[in-house]
Amino acid sequence: MEMLTHILGAIATVILAFVVGMTYGGLVRKITARVQNRLGPPWYQNFIDAYKLYGKTTAIHHGWMQIMGPAFLMVSSVVTLMFIPVLNNGGWFPNLNFEGDLIFLLYLMVFGPLGMALGAGQTGNPNSAIGVTRGLSQMVGFEIPWVMALVALMIQHDTTSITGLMEAQQQSGTWMMFSSPFAFIAAVLAMLGMFRYSPFDIVGAPTELASGPVSENGGKYLFTMMSSGSIFAFVKLTLYVDLFMGGADNLVILLLKTFAIYMIPVLYGLVSPRYRTEQSIRFFWGWPLFFGVLALIYAAIF
Amino acid sequence: MINDKNSQKIVDIIQNWSRKHSLWVLAYGTGCGAIEIPPTMTSRYDAERMGVRGAATPRQADILLITGYLTTKTLKRVIRVYEQMQDPKYVIGFGSCTINGGMYYDSYNTIKVLDKYLPVDVYINGCMPRPESVLAGFGKLQELIGDGKANGATKYKENLEWYKANQKKIIPNWVMPEYNW
Amino acid sequence: MQQLKANLIEHIKTSFKDAREKDYPNENRLDFYVNKQCIPSILTYAKDRLGYIHLSHIAIVDWLEEGEFELIYIIWSPEEKIKMFVRARVERENPVMPNIDMIWRQANTYEREFREMYGIQFQGLEGEQDFVLEDWDGPPPMRRDFDTEAYANETFFHRPGREDALDVREEIIKRSREEIPDFAKKYSR
Repeated sequence: MEMLTHILGAIATVILAFVVGMTYGGLVRKITARVQNRLGPPWYQNFIDAYKLYGKTTAIHHGWMQIMGPAFLMVSSVVTLMFIPVLNNGGWFPNLNFEGDLIFLLYLMVFGPLGMALGAGQTGNPNSAIGVTRGLSQMVGFEIPWVMALVALMIQHDTTSITGLMEAQQQSGTWMMFSSPFAFIAAVLAMLGMFRYSPFDIVGAPTELASGPVSENGGKYLFTMMSSGSIFAFVKLTLYVDLFMGGADNLVILLLKTFAIYMIPVLYGLVSPRYRTEQSIRFFWGWPLFFGVLALIYAAIF
Repeated sequence: MINDKNSQKIVDIIQNWSRKHSLWVLAYGTGCGAIEIPPTMTSRYDAERMGVRGAATPRQADILLITGYLTTKTLKRVIRVYEQMQDPKYVIGFGSCTINGGMYYDSYNTIKVLDKYLPVDVYINGCMPRPESVLAGFGKLQELIGDGKANGATKYKENLEWYKANQKKIIPNWVMPEYNW
Repeated sequence: MQQLKANLIEHIKTSFKDAREKDYPNENRLDFYVNKQCIPSILTYAKDRLGYIHLSHIAIVDWLEEGEFELIYIIWSPEEKIKMFVRARVERENPVMPNIDMIWRQANTYEREFREMYGIQFQGLEGEQDFVLEDWDGPPPMRRDFDTEAYANETFFHRPGREDALDVREEIIKRSREEIPDFAKKYSR
């Protein structure tokens, strides 16, 4: 019986993440259009795109490794989703959580793009190879302040599990945004790189290298990548809300909080030009690293 | 459920609806008509509200927009791009040069009738057509997709020898892979 | 200006005896008609000694009735600000011209275009044969005796016209009730 609720909970979580992620994608396109003084597509446009891509009738592949690339991406997104508590105190279905799962999550979040790199390398397209190396080197950039912020949190509250951090947040009563501010600033600056909006969107931009890693994938592969991108966006947003903004008690508050924190990279991206790869790495090893070090010192002292 | 050959099944209706509201255009300007594409895609004559978006590679695109004249040198590359796209795919002939040669009717290097080399679904008239005409052309394509009549890709597969014979007549140095899917 | 031009004419004529000149009194332009074998030496002389260091353009005229091509080298001096046109003629069957690639490197592009479009051979010109056209095996296309319309009619398909085809100018005249001038009438089809 327990097993049945677990399985149902997992499926329901995946469906929720898919729907919310795709809706946020459509809303972002609408907001981008309104900022640029035009009407945009309707908010359900990403669903239409996904269904059209799924309905392509011919598929061309260059070997089984290319099929594995999007599959790795999807698997990593879904498995990461299983470790995020969606609502406070297990309000949503109980998922898998254990001691030390925050460190496990850090490793899992890198697994997806690595699988994509293998898949893109199999196609033999030089654009994919260059795009993949750029993406991975950018990841070297933003992982440093992100890991520093999380380690600072872990030191401050003597626990390495997400549920432990959420309980500590609830007991103290204030959001962790205010009780460890430097970690929050470092994590928000790292978030700009994680979501791959401007100015760090050199990896998948259509005008740069014919869209990088996805250049040989069309049809169902592209559908898989879009869906896993949306699910992963939901994962990251919920993680931020759980760690820094006090979790959520019901779904409506969760949606409001995730949307509020999603606007930071989106609105900053609308007005920024694009960085080259070495400029973005230099940015991440400047001020965000400084705030990460401050967060570690703050956590060690207090 | 009436299973009539002439009536469309419900799955087809939903698929056609989703295909017509999300058209991805390959960002490839073959001739001088491509200068009217950026105004159509940007703020004033917004094409994104119909779901039309630019796509970077032929593997991701639905529509191939032949904007303007095609020299024999470009025709070879365009045929290769067309065969790399995935079904269902549509070709729009843009400008008068694809209809009857247009301004270059007496040129030694451009092709005059596009229909003999690639299957065309919609022609947009003009030299160049204004963005309102381009949006009307997309609307006509959406109508054809909704009725299930935009099947240039199946026409290409069925009459493959005829198209290939026409193409090889124009292009003397044919070093391309054979179309086998 | 006239003094500069007179100096220039004197310089060129002392070194190259059979160069004829033509003066344009109200512009800063001076033409020289030379033999085609003198072209590298006169251009080198102008570039090194007289300060004409900038090659602006190489133009070509197809004199079909006289059976010759005429190549015009336009060079410019930034101090004296005079355009010097150096003109040389070459015959139309098997035309061979000297190569000025080593004086200015951009002449390579101009000469490759002439080789493809007019069929003029340059001695010692390096570069691929196909400049713009690919797999072209007809006569050189820009010559005046190449009828492009006849070639296009026989090589490419044409779309047959409509049965109810109307003439655009006649329709516009009818609709606007205006008269078009005589020089425009001969372009109606």
